[in-house]
Amino acid sequence: MSATIVIVDDEPDLLDLLKLILTEKTDHQVITTTNPQEAVEWCREYHADLLISDLRMPEMEGIELLKIVKEIDPYLPLIIITAYGSVSSAVEAMRHGAFDYITKPFRKEHILMTIAKALRWRQDHLPT
Amino acid sequence: MKLLNLFRRKKPSAPAGGEEFFKKKYQSFKNLLEANNAALEVMSHMEATLEGDYVFDPQFIRASTESILEKVQTIVQELNTLGDNRYAELVKVYQNIAAKIQNETAAAPSGVPISRVLPLSQVDRRLLLQVGGKIANLGEIKNRLQLPTPEGFVLTNEAYRLVLAENRLTEPLASFLKDLDINNMEQLTEKSRILREMLLQAKIPSSLVEEVNQQYDHLITALAYKPYLALRSSGLYEDLESSFAGQFLTVLNVPFDRFFPSYLEVLASQFTPTALVYLSQKRLLQRQLAMSVGCLAMVPARSSGVIFTAEPTGGRDDVLVIDAAWGLGPAVVDGSLTPDHFVLSKKPALDLLEQQISRKTKRWIAADKGIKEEAVPLEEDSQPALTSEELLTLGRYALQLEEYFGSPQDIEFSVDQQGQILLLQSRPLTLLRPHATGVLPPHLEERHPVLLDHGTVACFGVAAGPVFLVDHEADLSRFPDGAILVARHTTARYGAVLHKAAGMVIDIGSATSHLAILAREFKIPALVDTGKATQVLRPGQEITVDANQIKVYEGRLEEILQAPVAKTSLLAETPIYARLRRVLRWITPLRLTDPQLANFTPAACQTLHDITRFAHQMAVTEMFELGEQARQGEVHMVQLQTNIPLNLYIIDLGGGIRTDHRGRFVSPEDITSIPLRALWRGISHPEISWAGPIPIDVRGLYSVVSRSLTAAAPQHADFWARTLAIVSENYLNYSSRLGYHFATIDALVSDVRNDNYLNFRFKGGAADESRRGRRARFLGEVLTRLDLEVEITGDLVVARLWKYPRPLLEEKLDLLGRLMGCARQRDMVMADETTVEWYIQAFLEGNYRFAGEPGSVTPPDQD
Repeated sequence: MSATIVIVDDEPDLLDLLKLILTEKTDHQVITTTNPQEAVEWCREYHADLLISDLRMPEMEGIELLKIVKEIDPYLPLIIITAYGSVSSAVEAMRHGAFDYITKPFRKEHILMTIAKALRWRQDHLPT
Repeated sequence: MKLLNLFRRKKPSAPAGGEEFFKKKYQSFKNLLEANNAALEVMSHMEATLEGDYVFDPQFIRASTESILEKVQTIVQELNTLGDNRYAELVKVYQNIAAKIQNETAAAPSGVPISRVLPLSQVDRRLLLQVGGKIANLGEIKNRLQLPTPEGFVLTNEAYRLVLAENRLTEPLASFLKDLDINNMEQLTEKSRILREMLLQAKIPSSLVEEVNQQYDHLITALAYKPYLALRSSGLYEDLESSFAGQFLTVLNVPFDRFFPSYLEVLASQFTPTALVYLSQKRLLQRQLAMSVGCLAMVPARSSGVIFTAEPTGGRDDVLVIDAAWGLGPAVVDGSLTPDHFVLSKKPALDLLEQQISRKTKRWIAADKGIKEEAVPLEEDSQPALTSEELLTLGRYALQLEEYFGSPQDIEFSVDQQGQILLLQSRPLTLLRPHATGVLPPHLEERHPVLLDHGTVACFGVAAGPVFLVDHEADLSRFPDGAILVARHTTARYGAVLHKAAGMVIDIGSATSHLAILAREFKIPALVDTGKATQVLRPGQEITVDANQIKVYEGRLEEILQAPVAKTSLLAETPIYARLRRVLRWITPLRLTDPQLANFTPAACQTLHDITRFAHQMAVTEMFELGEQARQGEVHMVQLQTNIPLNLYIIDLGGGIRTDHRGRFVSPEDITSIPLRALWRGISHPEISWAGPIPIDVRGLYSVVSRSLTAAAPQHADFWARTLAIVSENYLNYSSRLGYHFATIDALVSDVRNDNYLNFRFKGGAADESRRGRRARFLGEVLTRLDLEVEITGDLVVARLWKYPRPLLEEKLDLLGRLMGCARQRDMVMADETTVEWYIQAFLEGNYRFAGEPGSVTPPDQD
């Protein structure tokens, strides 16, 4: 299954690595940006199937982004990327409806598995 | 440093402050161990991240390195507390390594306005993201190493962004780059032309003009003349993770009135077809490209060249390779002629090992505007381009640069008309190791004639494919996938097709040329300097290039075609992985492994791991001496009540004795120190005798009498009659002198295996030297069989054991207790070598009373 995944993080290096992994290992279309506002636009414009977002970004907190995208698409799963030590905030994000969180640094297999789970969840929950 | 030497240092001064003094030392020791373990843990984590397919960001690198630096700083501080500042040199070593690491990890200072134009004197690697790798390194060379470089200034990435923004080029550039197809050469060429045109027509904002004018005025003041400039590109990722060798433009000899058009030319060079392919291959296109430009006072070079601080293709890292030619730099790196070639040894001293002086018939020189080629006068063309003195100076600079940047370097330099050497750049060198190719069976050589058997390896390996002859740059657009690139020169513009090429064979050029560097980066088997490839090889002809054997065969030789070199993980080739690798160079390699070697010194520490290794070893040595210090001070002790006549006194630093027993005496049951309890089990073993004489022969007795008459009486005789144990819950420093022998045990036994160790030292005895030597051999052999590392010098036995799990270490201490009891006075009965072996066997078999002792009657019960 090919899905559209939007990734937002203020670290371009991290975006590069994630894009590389996803284009190498999956058929998903991957859109990356360092700007959360732009991420919202991409989600809307491309009908994204999944959003992966950093928890802490200068322009917008991950939780705020979560609230905005859930208004656009309540069935859009959001995976939060968090630094070690910010796990409690990530758990808080899950209370607000984030699908899962993943702590940096993480293994390639870990993110691929989490993405697969999130996309299955979307398939199962999207109204037909 | 020999193991023994670690214990043979100047006696420490008598401690002041008694018990508190020991507590303070012990606390330092514990802090050091804790920091050591924590540092090693973070190191392992970083190494694992690099090895595995991990996703991480610069913050991870920064946080991890900060954490390690903090812990190693603690280690160095605590070692100096333990050793009364005897390791002050280690502080400087630490600071040097820390500065190198911080250079790699430092982010641009936040909140500080980013400059558009900076003098070179203010540049170093902390400004990496503003000035690019090449200029950042040049700043390090000039300002930190204080080696000679041209004067100049730099237009940072911010200046580039300003030019783009003011000319409304940011968005159009991004959209042009978005859908680039590097395999469509025609589209690529067209896009490249448009992109470059956009840049070349850009207007320079007046504020930037003003800033550049100011910097140029400063330069005039500094040099006292109006210099022409060399404009050198410095891409954001150039020389950082990828060489970009020859990809971006350098414009030489620019008069200041031509400054801005030349500046735009350099900016536009990141959009040449070659550069676009390269950037795409290196996965750098998706980032916003940025370029800073170094503007250096032009060096009217008499000679120029490159230095490789290792053989780029031969695998030898004990030599320096220098290629040089007359005039300005392009002659060496563009491959248009064969330069002089020098090989220098690095050790034991810089020395010229070999030289090949070529005929250098032309050279590039500065012209009115720009540069021009001219013929070299006949009497000069076969002269070496460098004097032997210049070679040695260059060699010294190169070694300094390699040491400073921590890896083999590729260095460019010029020598001016007065013989002054100026360094122009230094970047990491891509090295490839040769692969073995089997010898070709005769029948195959008959079927596949050798077409070329002369040349220089630019990149090892074997490749086969059809010949594609490149005569003009325009030919590149037709270059097919999997072909062998065959050309007259090693121009870097051919780099545009290297991602498609299977191999490369070039008539003229050196292994140090830009194209050769790119071939190594793309891992394409390549030969240069073959002399006649373009004449011998026919377009479309199927050939096999064996760069390992420097041969080109007709046809496709499946027999020698090797499986392609396993590609490293894609992630490993990304800039962030390269950054982590660079940082780890100063952290994880362990070069200081053997404390017995003479170079086990602070000065030999090159990485944080080396520092931890050194500090740990020295800390244990310091603790070993704590017992000796205790004897010189006044501290509160308790005495162990026991029938064993050891006269054992204990200083408890915390947790070593039951807390409800704080009187003057304690019993063995009150001992809570894990190592002392284990040792005591051995000492108090029912089969071990600590009292009474042993059965002694007449000669042994004579030897004791004669030694008693000649040996100096032990100092502080009354005190030495005591055995002293400094303990905590996990620690033991035990020293005893019984008669004429002296034994020390220093051990830490805990559930943290990494912390655990056991050191043992035994010296002396009452008998003559040969008998004492035999007892030392007895002890040494038993300890070796108990897995300890042993060193014996005369009658001194030093043994140690590291990082054993707690139960095993307790067992060893128990056996050590028994061994000390058994060894007591045995020097006197060891009449010859055969008896030594007997005692070893007896002890290992548990015959602790040595029933059937050779040359004597069976000893009576001595308890």
